Amino acid sequence: MRKLFLAAALAAVSSAASAAGVDAGRYQSVLGDCEGCHGKNLAGGVELMTPFGKLVAPNITPDKQTGIGNYSGEDFRLAMKAGIGPGGKRLYPAMPYPAYAKMSDADVASLWAYLQTVKPVRRAVDVNQLRFPFNLRFMMRGWNMLFFRPALYAHNAGKGAAWNRGAYIANGPAHCGTCHTAKTMMGSDKGMALSGASLQGWFAPDLTGDRNAGLGGWSAAQVVEYLKTGRNTHSIASGPMSEVVEHSTAQMNDADLRAVAVYLKDLPASDGNGGGASGVEAQMKSGAGVFRMNCAACHSFNGRGDNVLFPPLAGNALVRQSSAETLARVVLAGSKAVATPAAPTGPGMPSFAWKLNDAQVANVLTYIRNNWGNRAPAVSADTVAKIRKSLQPASH
Amino acid sequence: MSEQRALSRRRLLASVAALPILAATADGASISGTMPWSPFAGEPPKPVNPLGWYFFTPDEVVTIEAVVNRLIPADNLSPGGKASGCAVYIDRQLAGAFGQAQRLYMKGPFMPGLPSQGYQGDLTPAGRYRLGLRALNDYAHATHKRGFAQLAPAQQDAVLAGMDGGKIALRLKPGFSTKEFFEMMLQNSMEGFFADPLYGGNRNMASWKMIGFPGARYDYRDHIDKHNVPYPRPPVSIYSAEG
Repeated sequence: MRKLFLAAALAAVSSAASAAGVDAGRYQSVLGDCEGCHGKNLAGGVELMTPFGKLVAPNITPDKQTGIGNYSGEDFRLAMKAGIGPGGKRLYPAMPYPAYAKMSDADVASLWAYLQTVKPVRRAVDVNQLRFPFNLRFMMRGWNMLFFRPALYAHNAGKGAAWNRGAYIANGPAHCGTCHTAKTMMGSDKGMALSGASLQGWFAPDLTGDRNAGLGGWSAAQVVEYLKTGRNTHSIASGPMSEVVEHSTAQMNDADLRAVAVYLKDLPASDGNGGGASGVEAQMKSGAGVFRMNCAACHSFNGRGDNVLFPPLAGNALVRQSSAETLARVVLAGSKAVATPAAPTGPGMPSFAWKLNDAQVANVLTYIRNNWGNRAPAVSADTVAKIRKSLQPASH
Repeated sequence: MSEQRALSRRRLLASVAALPILAATADGASISGTMPWSPFAGEPPKPVNPLGWYFFTPDEVVTIEAVVNRLIPADNLSPGGKASGCAVYIDRQLAGAFGQAQRLYMKGPFMPGLPSQGYQGDLTPAGRYRLGLRALNDYAHATHKRGFAQLAPAQQDAVLAGMDGGKIALRLKPGFSTKEFFEMMLQNSMEGFFADPLYGGNRNMASWKMIGFPGARYDYRDHIDKHNVPYPRPPVSIYSAEG
């Protein structure tokens, strides 16, 4: 009887200990935004349109047939940090192993402990739908030799603990650079890290200290507010970032969000956005009329918007990116902001594709990018036409 | 009487029996969390094609244009009903859902209703215009030996006033009075004159300019504090991109 009691007590203690490990692992999955690609139940299926074709995120539940139920801990560590699956299968860097390589083995192990507790889902996913020759996985050996420099996060002794924690999260598990750092034709990083990049029909904005297009005008507290709630007085997350906020940053703890903010606020300024438009008086005049007719009711004549519901356009770094890809997309297709527990409204922007032609969209974007103190390159009707076509391939 | 009641009782039972079948096809959806959203969402009204006629025959076009031009005569305030596109507006409406009474229950029995209930007969609006315009021309031929459009403006006014005042009875159908036909044409002409130009009438937003209505604008915050100062901007249509 006593023995039985002892055994039960021991079991309770060890399950409590492993529960804590699982919680820590679950937090690692938040930092790494696993749900963003692998789906809410982690059974895969989210499609990623890359310049090389379509990749579909695989099932990472512990199902033995269709998931990763047959992985060992070491298999998982190698997949995360070396991009090599069981049997030597090469992963594609859409799985951000170049960033996860910076994670500590302890964090990866705790993530593995969590993933083994997830409910197994039987779902076969056809992952590799890339075009030839990119669908040949062995080619990734060459890519890895050329571009992959696996290295654990290197502590920067010249910076504080918060900075180092922020740099670790941003460049490691949270893999910010996967979207916010520009890529070469080969899909490797180019240019200054986190200075903005185009992907999947959106422009992931400049996160450096540039005052025009970067986060130079945001305080660290505003960075935290944005990541926590999806919005602040400068901006509202929509598009792919709304998913990142929902699945990842809104669930990060405040200390980690502050650390990320400390790190981002310390990034030196990028080369800027290319400067303001000149010789575009006709575009500005037309754009003012389009703005008054279609935009002013929410974003205000003075471009200041309405606090956290309608984002301001004046002084908004997102409006002043080097590329107007996101802006044109949002005007044409509309957009839906993220809804978070702290900010549950999720305001929407209507579609104007039915009403505004390419020149009118280009004019109003040029206008908002060069009014109220904003300075950014002009937008051409041709650019808008290309974006419209890419968004609505069937009807145009 | 008892046979009729038995019949209606049988019909009632049959229709009740059909209910579960209909209910099974009804669609329901529950939403939780945030409102659903999809890109390019929106159902903007489609602008009508301004050219040609979709419902009226050439004879009817001549007659209805003469009517709208007397109901809204050209003067120093505005162009007339014809130049404003009122006949085009009515034509497109009659060719569409309104003309076919798609919104209304149009099966029998047809019983006389109260005046406040409007027309209760079996004719669709398109059918009423077809019948009414022919009867109007028949009346003009019978009394003046000419079609309505060929009458002098004063004669046209007298005919329309007679229809409105109950002094003229066109050969229509029981349950569809001449006054009802007149009021229908007057109502639809006003709609065409004042509705957004995308529906075919109100060309160049002439009626809005006449009364100083700025149109489909939805933000006056830059003007709201300027008391007793006319709004300076021209009217805009739902389809105006700039303004």
